[in-house]
Amino acid sequence: MRQLELTVIAEPGVKSGAVPARGAAVPVPAAPSPASAGPAATQSVAVARQLWAGVHLAGISPQVLQSLGVLAQRFSPQVSLVPPDGLVLEVRGSLHLFDGLAGLRRLLTQACLPLHPRPLLAFAPTALAALAVARAGRPLQIVDPARLIGQLAPLPLAVLRWPEETQARLARMGVRTVGAALRLPRAGFARRFGAAQLALLDRLTGRTPDPRQAVRLRERFRRRCELEHEITDHERLLRALTPLWEQLAAFLEAHQCGVMRLECRLLHRHGAATCCAMRFAAPMADVQRLSALLRERLQQQPLVEPVRACELRTATVPHQRDSHPLWQPGEQGGGGTAPCADLVEHLRARFGAGAVYGLVLRDDHRPEAAWQVSEPLLPQGAGIARAPHGLPPQPERITRVPVAAARPLWLLREPRPLAERAGLPCRRGRPLHLAGEPERIETGWWDGRGIARDYYSAMDARGVRLWVFRERAAPHGWFLHGVFG
Amino acid sequence: MNAATCGGAPPAYAELHCVSNFTFLRGASHPQELVEQAEALGYEALAITDECSVAGVVRAHAAARGRRVRLIVGAEFTLECGLKFTALARDRSGYGGLCRFITLGRRAAGKGHYRLTRTDLAAAQFDRCLLLWLPGPQPQAQELQWLAENFGGRLHVAVELLRDGGDRARLAALQRLGERFTVPLVASGGALMHVRARRQLQDALTAIRLGVPIAQAGRRLHANGERYLRERERLARLYPPPLLAATVGLARQCRFSLDELRYEYPRELVPPGQTPASHLRRLTLEGAQRRWPHGLPQAEHDGIEHELALIAELGYEPYFLTVHDIVAFARGRGILCQGRGSAANSRVCYYLGITAVDPQRGATMLFERFISRERREPPDIDVDFEHERREEVLQYVYGKYGRERAALAATVIAYRPRSALRDLARAFGLEAREGLRLAKAMQWWDGSAMLGERLAQAGFDLRSPALQHLLPLVAVLVAPPGFPRHLSQHVGGFVIAAGLLAELVPIENAAMPERTVVQWDKDDLNELGLLKVDLLALGMLTALRRAFDLVHAYRGIHHTLGMLPAEDAEVYRMISRADTVGVFQIESRAQMAMLPRLQPRCYFDLVIEVAIVRPGPIQGGMVHPYLRRRSGAEQVDYPREEIRAVLQPTLGVPIFQEQVMQIAVVAAGFTPGEADALRRAMGAWKRTGGLEGFRERLLSGMRARNYPQEFAERIYQQMTGFGEYGFPQSHAMSFALLVYDSAWLKHHEPAAFACALLNSQPMGFYAPAQLVRDARAHGVEVRPVDACVSDWDCALEHGADGEPVLRLGLCLVKSLPQASVTRLVAARAARPFASVADLAARAGLTRTDLEALAAAGAFATLCGNRHLAFWEVAGTETALPLLPAQAGNEVIEGRPLIPAPREGEGVVADYASIGLTLGRHPLALLRGRLGASRLMSAAQLLQAGHGAQVRTAGLVLMRQRPQTASGVTFLTLEDESGQVNVIVWQRVGDAQRRALLEARLMEVHGEMQQQDGVTHLIAHRLLDRSQLLGGLLTRSRDFH
Repeated sequence: MRQLELTVIAEPGVKSGAVPARGAAVPVPAAPSPASAGPAATQSVAVARQLWAGVHLAGISPQVLQSLGVLAQRFSPQVSLVPPDGLVLEVRGSLHLFDGLAGLRRLLTQACLPLHPRPLLAFAPTALAALAVARAGRPLQIVDPARLIGQLAPLPLAVLRWPEETQARLARMGVRTVGAALRLPRAGFARRFGAAQLALLDRLTGRTPDPRQAVRLRERFRRRCELEHEITDHERLLRALTPLWEQLAAFLEAHQCGVMRLECRLLHRHGAATCCAMRFAAPMADVQRLSALLRERLQQQPLVEPVRACELRTATVPHQRDSHPLWQPGEQGGGGTAPCADLVEHLRARFGAGAVYGLVLRDDHRPEAAWQVSEPLLPQGAGIARAPHGLPPQPERITRVPVAAARPLWLLREPRPLAERAGLPCRRGRPLHLAGEPERIETGWWDGRGIARDYYSAMDARGVRLWVFRERAAPHGWFLHGVFG
Repeated sequence: MNAATCGGAPPAYAELHCVSNFTFLRGASHPQELVEQAEALGYEALAITDECSVAGVVRAHAAARGRRVRLIVGAEFTLECGLKFTALARDRSGYGGLCRFITLGRRAAGKGHYRLTRTDLAAAQFDRCLLLWLPGPQPQAQELQWLAENFGGRLHVAVELLRDGGDRARLAALQRLGERFTVPLVASGGALMHVRARRQLQDALTAIRLGVPIAQAGRRLHANGERYLRERERLARLYPPPLLAATVGLARQCRFSLDELRYEYPRELVPPGQTPASHLRRLTLEGAQRRWPHGLPQAEHDGIEHELALIAELGYEPYFLTVHDIVAFARGRGILCQGRGSAANSRVCYYLGITAVDPQRGATMLFERFISRERREPPDIDVDFEHERREEVLQYVYGKYGRERAALAATVIAYRPRSALRDLARAFGLEAREGLRLAKAMQWWDGSAMLGERLAQAGFDLRSPALQHLLPLVAVLVAPPGFPRHLSQHVGGFVIAAGLLAELVPIENAAMPERTVVQWDKDDLNELGLLKVDLLALGMLTALRRAFDLVHAYRGIHHTLGMLPAEDAEVYRMISRADTVGVFQIESRAQMAMLPRLQPRCYFDLVIEVAIVRPGPIQGGMVHPYLRRRSGAEQVDYPREEIRAVLQPTLGVPIFQEQVMQIAVVAAGFTPGEADALRRAMGAWKRTGGLEGFRERLLSGMRARNYPQEFAERIYQQMTGFGEYGFPQSHAMSFALLVYDSAWLKHHEPAAFACALLNSQPMGFYAPAQLVRDARAHGVEVRPVDACVSDWDCALEHGADGEPVLRLGLCLVKSLPQASVTRLVAARAARPFASVADLAARAGLTRTDLEALAAAGAFATLCGNRHLAFWEVAGTETALPLLPAQAGNEVIEGRPLIPAPREGEGVVADYASIGLTLGRHPLALLRGRLGASRLMSAAQLLQAGHGAQVRTAGLVLMRQRPQTASGVTFLTLEDESGQVNVIVWQRVGDAQRRALLEARLMEVHGEMQQQDGVTHLIAHRLLDRSQLLGGLLTRSRDFH
């Protein structure tokens, strides 16, 4: 019985009595052989009827793979993706349309080339086999199911993409090729490596069918609304958009997704379409808010010509969207910044993204490096920010080190040199009156912007309190660095 | 601001709060630097107050000796609640209290940390200490209140004005607080460095401590560089005069000096009615009587009396008794031990059984080398124990004296180029990958002098800002004496006290459980004259004991240390052939190269052999004259009879330290103590200089005794050449005993010897693969690891011819825990295993265990080849939970159709699992390909003859780069026919550095050199051929 198991898995084609056929001839459907009792008897039915193309696309990105999947639908109605880098299509039915295997291979390769430099193609009676052979880089065309096992046998096990650990264990048993794996006793193999791996072998050899889900086109929203009359003012335009918003809301709801990018195109009779695009930091599904933002944007945009149609388009929508926050604003720290975020969105919509920023403290002794601009709304101490003067961004952990001496509210962008007279700094020709004791700051030597200064609080002739320092290094110049409020 | 600034001398000052770099990763200056700087600034005193530590004070103490500045011993503490203060010892009792408090905090926390609370502080014995409160940025009145209530009269407020712009406010606030609680104020600097220039290093250390790049350390760095030892003029401008004057007042109250420490060795070893002296005399004479059953010769008697008199004069009896007690314990437990080092110069040590060098076997017995009156330093007895059983001895000491009285000495782990680069790279925010590349550029043998060059070679831009900042800091960290990074435990130096050790020096926890260490290292202990005993671990003793046991079990013959048949000519013939793999000491490459030239014929030749292959004699130019004289090619002449007496054993060439000392005595009129001082100077002159004084003294002494100038100069030259590497004869004699014993075993009991060595790994120079290969070359049959037969250890089985057969043990198998093997062996004893499943079930092995066994080929008996074994193991594991181990209920499976492993696969798997193969050598499998590339085998090279241009390839067994060999690297290559010794000159090595460092299989083109039966290959070209090995895991042992 064990011997029998072994032969069943090893030579299904021979057992099934299929007649070897050359070229693209359709093989004779296999007849159950009396010698191979049990499940093996049924296997070749599926095999004999199908021919799969496997395409291996090393290093491809998920997006490109998706596009290729869509593209490949032109060759077969049954296209499946095998992420991350594989594509299979059943081509038996469409061979005659493309001048046989050679023609199909050529056309399929041509279709892939613009998007991937080196597609590897192979044909075999099962999807997995076609892909495995393609991964091995062998441009085989196994149309004869009887020769499938023989052709697969020398392939390295790696083409099956089993977990590393499984491959390593098999390698230690001296099993390094597909053929060696197929020669192992079925029951023993399943006990050691699991039924799933055995099932994979069975799908590979066509012993069991391998149903696959066909590629679905990815979704995006694109609706146009032809206006009954040409519109020249914003208010009517916005009202005219209402049905589109409703459709968008329904779309987003149905797809359980949000938009990262929304484009509103206004079509005119003569000129090019006016285009108004918005990008969002996170997927947005709230159509109310989307329309409010668009309103802000449109009001910035003069209408050069009457509008006769308008269109809303999204980019391809990502398949997840923000879940509703568990806590409502004000509860348990939940969503407290939301209204503020709205404000920032509005301000940014009106003045541009660069015009709105926040300030955070940086942990540094140097006054000029002790603060930086940040994304607005970041809580104190959490900013990853654009640092002033090209300082590297740093995650902030402000420790509250009290500063012994007072700091001014206004800091000059650059310290301004002061003249010196009789050892005292002067401003507008009059010496300053130094008050209190110096604060010595000397640090920052490691990044080429080191300072070594003695800071003083000083009073000018008009009674303005200034923050000045004297360089510790020669020539010991005086500088004005800030003004107390 | 105040009077002191208006001319006149600056005010007197004493710094009472200053941490050294023994407050690891905070202090940025050595204690010595701080003391020297304090002296230069005219400070009256300097307190070293490391955080919960006195680890740096001995160095400071030594530096302050003979200077005007006085050292105050103290420590800084931060309690759990945040309260921070320093305590300064006023006298011996205050110091004891301080040490106990530090011990309390350190013992309460893991290695390198401490934990103290106000409760601890309230209970601390600080009656004789001064306390300085160190207020935080915002002084907390309650802290001062609490301290004032507990430590009223001894308390002061430390006012540290660091020019942060708030000095005046701070001073005023502290003055108010001081008045409120009537606690006087005192000025203090809180120094972290001796000069402002250490600022960068201090910032970098802070970043290393915090584990963040400097750029992100922010305000956790200090805002300015004021925390250095400031000039008194500057201080005068900052502080009111009374606060400065107070520092001096307090400093004068602290009268304690480390010189007051008196150390007493345990007294309990003396029986009632005896004194230590009488007891030591009794034990010594008893030992002497055992050795001389027919009466002690007069010379021996006199020698003993001479030693006992000096020991008594210096009061060292309890020390000898303590060591004797430990050695007696080990002997009682059957643990082999033997004293090493200069103690072998002592008859007392010999008769007490501490050392094994028989005075009758030609030892000089230069007792002054061991103990001298002139030297302030205590004697140092080092005893080796079996390395696997030393822990028993350590725990005996802890048990006998208690943790209050015994602890290990510390070792100060200092920055090395590599660790300095790694830490600083991180501090400068270099990415881990770059840091790794940096550290990699620093291979194990690089001196720091080469740093810049190496980095440039590795493709680093030396002008990049990070490196510009980083490299000078590396230089500071690695500059001698080495910037301390943390304390670790000494390998075996025990300090044992009569009273509470923690009164003498704080004790802290070591990383290993059950180990406690004092805060001082062995130099510190020496400096203060504290006795320690080194209980060291020696692998060879373990191996010898095992070999003796194996021989006893197999043949019923009982051998032990020093009791083997002496002076066996066969053994010396074997040694002279350099057939010494596994033999103690003389198995190294350099030793093996010397053996055929020196041709040892007797014990004393071994002593010379051990001592002569050392950097000292090599650099002093002693080797060739000795060999020439030994072969009769050169006349031996002695300028005087008294010189002949000293140098005759070594044919007129000084080889041992003792001989140099004796020459100084007999030819230049030194006293023995002075001669010892000369030896010590010889040892240190390269680092510290100071040999010139002795030169004058030596030359004039010899001139006065009419020695030719030329002879005197030569002796002096040889001394400088000796440097610190000179070998004491006593030490060489101890080691030569072990050389002979191990060589005897190798010759007469090769199976037992190899077995013992394998079971004592890791030790010695060679890996198991070479030891097994060597044993087989000597006719020992070796059987593979087998789960049905092997025990944990390698073992001897009875062979067909009656000779023992070596069975490899499961200890060689990678990733197989000993506990699993214990279960396996027990299950096997009950009933032999029927199958892998049976074995797994009865021994309770995990799948990892089974796979380890399968990988080792240990299932050959049960399953056949490795592939089938893995198939079985894989099936067994999944079967376990489903099918309880019942007979007859197993799944019956047929043999799968799996091809047997090819020979190469077997070899690769052997190496991967047990590190050796009993099959063919890997290179035998590659020979066809190597031959096609016209590469010769090691055996063919031997035939090639001197001067032949050859090419060969072999597995790299060893790389050595001796410090003394000026950049030469020695390689040992191995192939199926033998080993090749390759010499790589620095130029060649630098040009082909990658191949030199990384190749596992190396191809070498070069020229053969043969001399005195020693063959070398001088490399011209090195090629890395490792890719031919595929997955073969070989590992070179790299030494420097």
